[in-house]
Amino acid sequence: MAQDSVGLPSDFQFWMRKLSVWDQASTLETQQDTCLHLPQFQEFLRQLYEALKEMDSSAIIERFPTVGQLLAKTCWNPFILAYDESQKILIWCLCCLIKKDPQNSGESKLNSWTRGLLSHILSTFRFNIKEVDLFTQVLGYAPTDYYPGLLKNMVLSLVSELRENHLNGFNTQRRMAPERVRSLSRVCVPLVTLPDFEPLVEALLTYHGHEPQEVLWPEFCDAVNEAFLLKKISLPASAILCLWLRHLPSLENTMLHLFEKLISSERNFLRRIECFMKDSLLPAAACHPAIFRVVDEMFRYALLETDGALEVLATIQVFTRCFVEALEKENKQLKFAFKTYFPYASPSLVMVLLQHPKDIPQGLWHQALKHISEMLKEVVEDQTHGSYGGPFESWFLFVHFGGWADMAAEQLLTSEAEAEAPEALLWLLAFSCGPGAGHQQRAQTMVEVKAVLSRLMKLLRSPTLSARDLQAAAGEGGEGAPRPPACQQLIRRLLLNFLLWAPGGHAIAREVITLMAQTDAIMHEIIGFLDQTLYRWDHLCVEAPRSRKLARELLAELRGQA
Amino acid sequence: MEPLLQHLERFSEVLAVSRTTHVSTWDPVTVRRALQWARYLRHIHKRFGRHARISKALERRLQNQWKQQGDSGPAPAPGLANFQALGLCDQLLSLRLLANPALGDASFHYLLQQLFPGPGIPDAEEESLQGSLARLARRRAALHMLRFNAYGENPALQEDPLMKTQAELLLRRLQEVGEADAGGPGRLLSSLWERSPQNNFLKVVAAALLLPPSSPRHQEEELKLGSPKTPGEEGQELLRWLLGKSDVMVAFCRSLPAGLLTLVAGRHPELSRVYLGLLTDWGRQLHYSLQKGLWIGTESQDVPWEELLSRFQSLCQAPPPLKYEVFTALKSCKAQDGDFEVPGLSIWTDLLLSLGSSA
Repeated sequence: MAQDSVGLPSDFQFWMRKLSVWDQASTLETQQDTCLHLPQFQEFLRQLYEALKEMDSSAIIERFPTVGQLLAKTCWNPFILAYDESQKILIWCLCCLIKKDPQNSGESKLNSWTRGLLSHILSTFRFNIKEVDLFTQVLGYAPTDYYPGLLKNMVLSLVSELRENHLNGFNTQRRMAPERVRSLSRVCVPLVTLPDFEPLVEALLTYHGHEPQEVLWPEFCDAVNEAFLLKKISLPASAILCLWLRHLPSLENTMLHLFEKLISSERNFLRRIECFMKDSLLPAAACHPAIFRVVDEMFRYALLETDGALEVLATIQVFTRCFVEALEKENKQLKFAFKTYFPYASPSLVMVLLQHPKDIPQGLWHQALKHISEMLKEVVEDQTHGSYGGPFESWFLFVHFGGWADMAAEQLLTSEAEAEAPEALLWLLAFSCGPGAGHQQRAQTMVEVKAVLSRLMKLLRSPTLSARDLQAAAGEGGEGAPRPPACQQLIRRLLLNFLLWAPGGHAIAREVITLMAQTDAIMHEIIGFLDQTLYRWDHLCVEAPRSRKLARELLAELRGQA
Repeated sequence: MEPLLQHLERFSEVLAVSRTTHVSTWDPVTVRRALQWARYLRHIHKRFGRHARISKALERRLQNQWKQQGDSGPAPAPGLANFQALGLCDQLLSLRLLANPALGDASFHYLLQQLFPGPGIPDAEEESLQGSLARLARRRAALHMLRFNAYGENPALQEDPLMKTQAELLLRRLQEVGEADAGGPGRLLSSLWERSPQNNFLKVVAAALLLPPSSPRHQEEELKLGSPKTPGEEGQELLRWLLGKSDVMVAFCRSLPAGLLTLVAGRHPELSRVYLGLLTDWGRQLHYSLQKGLWIGTESQDVPWEELLSRFQSLCQAPPPLKYEVFTALKSCKAQDGDFEVPGLSIWTDLLLSLGSSA
């Protein structure tokens, strides 16, 4: 606490000056400036309270001689009183000034002055319309009884005015001038989180005037989006869609918020990412192609900036899954062609990737994978398909539906019928982990993977299995250059799959993982793999109790260690 | 049941005292006890909210009290007027004590500690008083901001939130009073007419007559309380009272703007007939001045021609059937006068000419 209050005196002067300028937030400029500083000022009030509550009121006056002035100015600023929790913190601060047993007239005076301020916050800002006050009094109502109702009626009246604008356009007498809409949106900045204002916020967001420029105040959009992200407001999806369509920074902020979660609290918790994603309404809003394209572009940049971080890849898959689900829910018949969402991709490829593996009998998965691999290969390696972007575009499309690659890895290890790993599946795996690789390099990866696989298949049939054997099987096959990182990652994925599926896997799993996880990054990669695998199995309803149990146990243990 | 009712009565007394100078004798213990009572009653409200029999009994007791107070003094002190008010009784008590300068420093200090314990005090079961008082302050600030920064200039009266709110309050009170005593609403309305500014009162009455039959919230409450009355009945009560008081009805039709009266008349056929009757009476008072070439009154209180015309004009723009009724009435008056087609002989002929009736 002491640390926090160090900067207080200088802040104190700053805010005192600000409050004097703001006065009662009566002009446009002061309102604007007030709105801009509301969160900061609330933080200052909080710090002030933390400092005040430790002191006796005499000590307070000694340390902050003008605290009374500052608080009084705050009490008269409706914007501050209307914002979030500021009014509550202000009341706490005032409480600190009240002395239980004033010793002299000065203290008594301060007491009654402070009581006046408290009473002002709670019971003034009266309408002061004599007839109304008198009427309600004769009826036997106190202001407390009817203020909520009055506020509701005022909000509804503004809402109907805004709607009327929308419906009647130029022809209505009640048309709200654009300037008024703008000023209304400014007044709402501190109030967006007050539940009574939800209908008005919604009406403003969905309001479309006939002006070429945006009429809503950008700070209003920021405030709404922020409140929405923090779940301090509940709005229908249509209103949020309007917000994002008319105010790009809000959509960008939502994505940044998602990324923040991804690298901090929710790292490797796909279930939670999915919940957050659905709550954020991103997938539903993305049914509008304009939103989808922005979101997708941001994913693309995130991938490029992180060199294809696995967490980002996993998130794109979750997003795509939720998006497809939302699309199906929105309407069975597509409003927009897939081409509008994936303009750089071959439409037939998109259709194949979009199939839900659950809708295909398990016995035919292999076939489907082969088909996808062939189509992709054709697009990537055949130069004549230039119209669908380079290999990166195809890869970027494929990672949206990355579950197919994971299935390919599983298929390679579990389908015993094949004596030799099928080329198509190998190619798909090699492609999925290295978009930048040329034909040559990919071929090399395939050779390596094939060799490892055949060794693993032999181990699968061996009666005794040890961690060393497994490590040897995964080891580099002789002299050549060291494997590129992407290839190493792929082989780790195969090994982990092996552990989950091989009958003896569970006995040696922990030892193998210890040997494998030489760095924190690899450890996170393993956790991520387990999390994603479980998430995918849940969605595919894969029946594999033993494998599931092992994966869950490993995940819990590793999370505990990480 | 009886102890609970007594408890309620005692608390009502406490509430009444809380805004007097008498609280100067309250020490922190008294404040604590008063707050405890309030909390207990709020708990009762929460617990028996869905219990029609108990909440009804409590409400009846409250209304009797309220009625007695209303009969004896001038304006009754706003207090616990209905069962719903119990849910807010601790807030009401707190606000009164906070605003009462007679409360001693030590007691006030104690009151603040109780009301505003500061951050980090979770109150899982129900919303804390601290939270509800803060929200009240926030709502007040919000009202202030809307009024001074966003409120449209001169909204039409029937859309004016301030009028609408007063109208809702009036209907709510009428309903409550009516449940306790069938003659209650009439008495309440008469006392409102005598005691509150008349112009505002008439506007509120008009706004109340224009409200949709019953707001859903109201309906819900009524269902919950098992009210025998049908929703919207208090509106009918109001109309009956208005039509029964000829002086109020005259003032109503005389002082409210033409457009508003047309709306009310369009909604209530009984009222439209009386209104039309008044308009024709007023028209008969005017005579034609050959000198000025105008219809003029003899007495100062006579309704001027322009006003009469504007009221008829407004009525003629109403949707049918009102519009046709107005024309029919005018034409029958004209026929009674001798069905003249030239101006200056019958006011009805001239009104119809000015209204440009082609029918």
